Amino acid sequence: MKTFERYFLGANRWALIVLLAAIACIIFTNVALRYLTNQSIEWAEEVSRHMMIWLTFLGAGPVLRYGGHIAVENLQDALPKAMAIAVRVFVAALLFGFFGFMVWYVVLYVGRTMFQLTAATQVPFAYIYAAMPVGGVLLIIHWALIVRSYVLKREFASDAHFDANASASL
Amino acid sequence: MSASLILIISACFFLAIGVPVAFALGLATAAALVLAENFPLFVLLKETFTGIDSFPLMAVPFFILAAELMSGGSLTEVLLKFAGQFVGHKRGGLGYTNVVSLTFFSGISGSALADAAGPGSMLIRMMDKAGYDRAYAAALTAATAIVGPIIPPSIIMIIYALQDDNVSVGALFVAGLIPGLLIALAMCVVNYQVSKKRNYKGDGGMPPWAEVLRTTWKAIPALLLPVLILGGMRAGWFTPTEASVVAVFYALVCGKFIYRTLEWKALPDILARSALLTASVLIIIGLSASFAWILTIEGLPQMMADWIISKNLSPWMFLIFVNIFLLLFGIFIEPLPGVMVLAPILAPVAVKLGVDPIHFAMIVIFNLALGMITPPVGGLLFVTSNVPRVPMGPLVRERKPFLVAHGIVLVLLTFLPTLSTFFTPRAGVQISASVKLKAVRREPCR
Repeated sequence: MKTFERYFLGANRWALIVLLAAIACIIFTNVALRYLTNQSIEWAEEVSRHMMIWLTFLGAGPVLRYGGHIAVENLQDALPKAMAIAVRVFVAALLFGFFGFMVWYVVLYVGRTMFQLTAATQVPFAYIYAAMPVGGVLLIIHWALIVRSYVLKREFASDAHFDANASASL
Repeated sequence: MSASLILIISACFFLAIGVPVAFALGLATAAALVLAENFPLFVLLKETFTGIDSFPLMAVPFFILAAELMSGGSLTEVLLKFAGQFVGHKRGGLGYTNVVSLTFFSGISGSALADAAGPGSMLIRMMDKAGYDRAYAAALTAATAIVGPIIPPSIIMIIYALQDDNVSVGALFVAGLIPGLLIALAMCVVNYQVSKKRNYKGDGGMPPWAEVLRTTWKAIPALLLPVLILGGMRAGWFTPTEASVVAVFYALVCGKFIYRTLEWKALPDILARSALLTASVLIIIGLSASFAWILTIEGLPQMMADWIISKNLSPWMFLIFVNIFLLLFGIFIEPLPGVMVLAPILAPVAVKLGVDPIHFAMIVIFNLALGMITPPVGGLLFVTSNVPRVPMGPLVRERKPFLVAHGIVLVLLTFLPTLSTFFTPRAGVQISASVKLKAVRREPCR
């Protein structure tokens, strides 16, 4: 289980790294080309936008793992411990439900968008919408890996490189 | 109407029990679509993707990345030294150094987090070593980090501009300059008074001129980045998104070849961190877009606007109410979901009442940013209490004079619109015009 967790995390992390680096390179090349050769890459904007969508859904899982999705915790803090745990069981179940919905509903729908093509690259929209069910599966796995400590102590996995307060402090 | 009602009630419920904001909004949207049966469930999927399928939004990850790259290199130290040589010898010198270098860094970073976690944490440690009260150092840093989202570039401003058609990213960026400097000034005043009372000493005299020149020379590449970002956008060289990517590569070259402190092997970590932060921001934007779609299609913002206008408020009264409401709202809700939910509702009302949209945007953004340090405890306090560990009690006590100072700045910003709009007639709105002519298939850059 531990080995699985390590490889799973590693793969997810590298997917994010490659995506972000690739988007940066595409847009930068496009700007540079525009000034150096007066031409731009036709597909640059579209492809980078769609890569950002994938980045969002692939990243949502690890963010959940580190407790980086901001939540309003005032009520849970005010409740006695047993009550708070009960509330968190409910929250955990709701989240599983929502992630499951992301996978199930979109998989149902995605097939129908196979014939809609994107403007510049003529890729089926289904390949872009697929980010949501894939992200949903990742969310379910990440959530299952930490849900126990969340319910009992509202503790998430810690990471030296990512501060859980990050998105709260924009 | 029924869908909006279900939407709002269920969203409040999910938020209250502690479901993460993004998924609370998603769940509420799903509940409203299923129960009210006015619209297909497909709306959730479609609008979520539309919400993040946006080129202007892509500036968010890259301003995050640029700031991470800059603080990964030794740029922070260079800025620190540069700021310190002018103010370090005064009484409370390190406090001023803190304020000045965080303000400089805000010209590179787009968030309060980057300011507080980068140069901020370094300065808290330095102040601690120099005999300052640790809690005071942390409070000063948290209070000053508020300039992060006010001084351009600013992630919150990019997102606000996407929610409100009346303002552009460029115009907001320029508008943030004076308010940002005003906040920094207010923090310096607090530091002056506290240092006088507690007799925090400076570090001797001003360094010799030769050294001042050398430090300044070293700081120039770092100081040029904000100029490049704002100047490049104003001159029409690039859109905000392109400016952000140019900033990334500039930061990379600076860190790698000029300061030579950025290691290739540190890059994956920096990229991964930026990607995670991006995902946490964009997932909220996506899911709240479908949430907002239902509200808009059912005409709720319009009804709110009509209702408020029917009360015959003067613009000033309206702004006072907005201030109070936002400060209360900020206690529970962080700036990002705050902007996503409130900007589409409040901004049209403000325009109808004759409030300048830029001025209004600054008020909203500053108020919500204050939510990061207002009682009971905001996210920024958690960030600054981490390095080195500061107990929350004393930190909260030390925060008091800073809150008063922020309050005064807020009143000034509210009643002197010219502070926000001083530069707007000449700069801003037309920024992307020349770029549009050159680029292929570009979205209108709002």
